[in-house]
Amino acid sequence: MGLLSLLRKLRPNPEKEARILLLGLDNAGKTTILKQLASEDITTVSIMEQMRSCFPNRLSNHSQVTPTAGFNIKSVAADGFKLNVWDIGGQWKIRPYWKNYFANTDVLIYVIDCTDRARLSETGSELFEMLMDNRLKRVPLLVFANKQDLPNAMSASEVAEALGLVRLEERSWEIKACTAVDGTGIKEGMDWVCKNMKK
Amino acid sequence: MGSDDLSAGDKIQKGFQINYMILRDADTGKVIWQENKDFSAPDVEHEARVPVKILDMRAVSREINFSTIESMQNFRLDQKVLFKGRIMEEWFFEMGFVGANTTNTWQSTIEAAPESQMMPAKVLNGNVTIQTSFYDNETLITKSVVRLYYI
Repeated sequence: MGLLSLLRKLRPNPEKEARILLLGLDNAGKTTILKQLASEDITTVSIMEQMRSCFPNRLSNHSQVTPTAGFNIKSVAADGFKLNVWDIGGQWKIRPYWKNYFANTDVLIYVIDCTDRARLSETGSELFEMLMDNRLKRVPLLVFANKQDLPNAMSASEVAEALGLVRLEERSWEIKACTAVDGTGIKEGMDWVCKNMKK
Repeated sequence: MGSDDLSAGDKIQKGFQINYMILRDADTGKVIWQENKDFSAPDVEHEARVPVKILDMRAVSREINFSTIESMQNFRLDQKVLFKGRIMEEWFFEMGFVGANTTNTWQSTIEAAPESQMMPAKVLNGNVTIQTSFYDNETLITKSVVRLYYI
């Protein structure tokens, strides 16, 4: 289940390019999901960590993935069809940049750390504020309720309830439970993405 | 080009740095080759010695990690694969806005040509270069040239 197979599923689409935007607060697990999609080993200490050591890294004690300071883009091409996934850093300092990437989005994936109860309302208000933007009008939304492997994680339905996702109108949306570190639930989510890609 | 344009481009170039480049087997995610030096240093042709098995892989991904001090309005890339100086493959990518003081990664995965269209390693060895040009709008920031050797 890598990006290549996702691309193969999407290929019959007449559009030549598809754009998936991956957003969420810092430490939600966006980059880990992206790495799962690219079948990369997450726990390997890569040079990426060293390179980014100049950035404040408050997660270094319990995470192998450093905060994304800018963006990560994975782009897959075959037979002239291109799939681009944009993972934009989620720290509050760089959240104002998110809107620079809204245009031409085909699917929005929003990742939530289900153990972070303290910031649940913050992540909800960021999401709803973003969805008001005209450029994201009618763009399908997949919410990944991440970190289900941790004992104190809220379930997907708890998160949906707390955020009030039912309020969303004129938009196809879905929430899926997942554990990005081992890949559980990612495939199910991406299957939904394939079926609901904006036409 | 006016002197103002020049200084804008120069300023971006001064604050621009490639941190690393990685080649991966796209199916397994395994790193085949990686180099931690700044490949953007222009006027220098860099060399990469990659395992010959890369030619048997169904898909290979190329990853470039870079940092910029200046922000850019419309950052884009033009990546060419050349065989004996002739373009075999060209790949454009537009990233758009890039924030000031950010580190970013661009990874592109490209499926291999059908086996029948593949040239043998002996022929390719030393004759393939990957040329990546970085632009902000029409301003060339830097160009990186890497020559491939199959070992």
